[in-house]
Amino acid sequence: MRGTGGTSELARLGAPIAHLLDAAWSRMHWWVGAMALLYAISGITVIRADEVAIVQRWGRLVGNTKATQEHGPGLLFALPRPVDQVVRVKIKHVWELPIETLATSAAEAGYGDTLDPLVVGYALSGDQNIVHVAMIARYRVRDPADWAFYGPKADEILRVAVTAAMVRSLGEMGVDHVLADGRKDLIETASRRAQAGLDAAHSGLALVSLELTYLAPPRALAKDFDAVQSAYIETETKKKNALAFAQTVVPRAHAEADASVQAARGDAVAAQARAKGDAEAFLALEREYQANPVVVRERLYRDGVEKAIGRAREVRWIPPPPAGGRYEGLRVTLESEKAGTTQPSAVRSPEGTP
Amino acid sequence: MANEVTSQRWLRGIVGTVALLAIAFYATALVVHEGQAVLVTRFGRPVRADTRAGLHWKLPWPIDQATWLDMRRRVYEGGHTEMLTRDKKNVIVRTFVVWRIGDVLAFAQSIGEEREAEGKLDGLLTNAAISTLGEHDLSAIVSTNEKDLQVDQIEAELLAGTAPAARQSYGVEIEQIRLERVALPEENVKAVFEQMRAERHQYAAKFRAEGEREASRIRSEAELEAARILAQGAEQAARIRGQSAAEVAKTYADAHRVDPELYRFTRSLESLGQLVTSDTSLVLRTDAEPFSLLQGKESK
Repeated sequence: MRGTGGTSELARLGAPIAHLLDAAWSRMHWWVGAMALLYAISGITVIRADEVAIVQRWGRLVGNTKATQEHGPGLLFALPRPVDQVVRVKIKHVWELPIETLATSAAEAGYGDTLDPLVVGYALSGDQNIVHVAMIARYRVRDPADWAFYGPKADEILRVAVTAAMVRSLGEMGVDHVLADGRKDLIETASRRAQAGLDAAHSGLALVSLELTYLAPPRALAKDFDAVQSAYIETETKKKNALAFAQTVVPRAHAEADASVQAARGDAVAAQARAKGDAEAFLALEREYQANPVVVRERLYRDGVEKAIGRAREVRWIPPPPAGGRYEGLRVTLESEKAGTTQPSAVRSPEGTP
Repeated sequence: MANEVTSQRWLRGIVGTVALLAIAFYATALVVHEGQAVLVTRFGRPVRADTRAGLHWKLPWPIDQATWLDMRRRVYEGGHTEMLTRDKKNVIVRTFVVWRIGDVLAFAQSIGEEREAEGKLDGLLTNAAISTLGEHDLSAIVSTNEKDLQVDQIEAELLAGTAPAARQSYGVEIEQIRLERVALPEENVKAVFEQMRAERHQYAAKFRAEGEREASRIRSEAELEAARILAQGAEQAARIRGQSAAEVAKTYADAHRVDPELYRFTRSLESLGQLVTSDTSLVLRTDAEPFSLLQGKESK
């Protein structure tokens, strides 16, 4: 009896709720059905082209390996919450983080010949010089699970890991190497160390690039560093001028030597040709001379004398000596080459014969 | 009518059951996500920690209570600490720590909150840094000599000096400690600036001297090379001319050997032609050729 009475009492108390449910169901059952359907498909997720998705079922990551955990672009059929939870991660997007923990600031100007390390950022080089460095780190998500669930906040770990890597890398390089031709080495070493730090922290991040936006000594020493740079440029200019001189003088010497040799060869060829021609002419003359010695000799003699007389500036004819064959007191006056003057000279034949 | 009543009863039953199950599930289920842990306490006394992701259960409130903890790694940057190195140099060092909750129960009991954990870590870090760096020279941190550098060792010593205490006392697992900053006290920077200035002046003078020397060497070597090349050219030209002269002499000799007397005669005529120029004055007798022809004589 008590049970029956209790049931009827419950039924009486629940009657308004039952009526409410009955009324709601009769008027809104299509809506309720539609909502239930929407809830059932609410786990279906669209994964975009630059994303991957990872699924947690009752909080646990679905899949045992990276390949089975990550779902690429497309439709992902997951169960509705709270059973499944889909986390979408942009793995192809490259993010940027400016890092200025070692950079100078406007406050530096107020310090003159010193720096407060708590206010002004800087790092020590291997030779214990002070340099300011500002960087931009570019990174992307490499391991979505580490990034989403296990690693520290991306900006925090990236800033400290890159700063520590830069401090350590600068601390083993000389300041001149760093400021002159060591930037590439510095970036490579610091990037490698920073990535090792990110991996050790399970950050899930990949450092895509590290760019130095500022790398310089303190402003108070700028003039001194500039003076070294000027000296270096001056030195290089002198070397280049010397090299230019060398590159001019040596080829010129080659050219002069070649010209000298070629001239000698030309002279040799000409001399040999002339000698050959002269020899052939002499042999031809000799053949003729053998045939007519008197005539040839006479002709040659007369030709020679005539040419000599014709070429001479002045010819004086003197009578032959008297019968005795000797000139006595003979004086011959020759015209000077210079106009208007006379230069007497005497030719005396001691033997009396010309 | 009877069917409608039956369906209404079924509906009521389903709705009631679902509601009851949902309430029961909400009261007893614990969904632990990746990177989280749940500490379950029973009437305030910790009974277990669920660190594996997944679905776990507890008794409903007020018997059991659950506290979720973030198990992700975190970064903590210590403060700037001034200390003396073994070679008595003042340096300011800052370190950072990557840590996570290692023992949920110990962490919850000894610390409870992340911010408080960092305060505990700061003390540990400062002590470890002072004692560790006091055993190393400054050149172990910054040096161009690779053999002097001991940064890995220093960081390992810092880790060894803090991690066990953090684990045992606070349930905190320190995974890495790195030197984030090494600087000099403000009072020492002035001396460093002076040293840097002196170095710059020295380098500038050195660059200039080396440049002069190198440029001079390049010029001297070039001049020497040019002189050597010219000498070789002159030698080769002289050799060619000498050989040519010998060949010419041989050619003439071969020809003149046929009739030496004729050669002497023609050579005399050539000499005469060359000796008599437009500046020459000749004195000839009137009985000599060709004037003798006018006198009806012939030379002999």
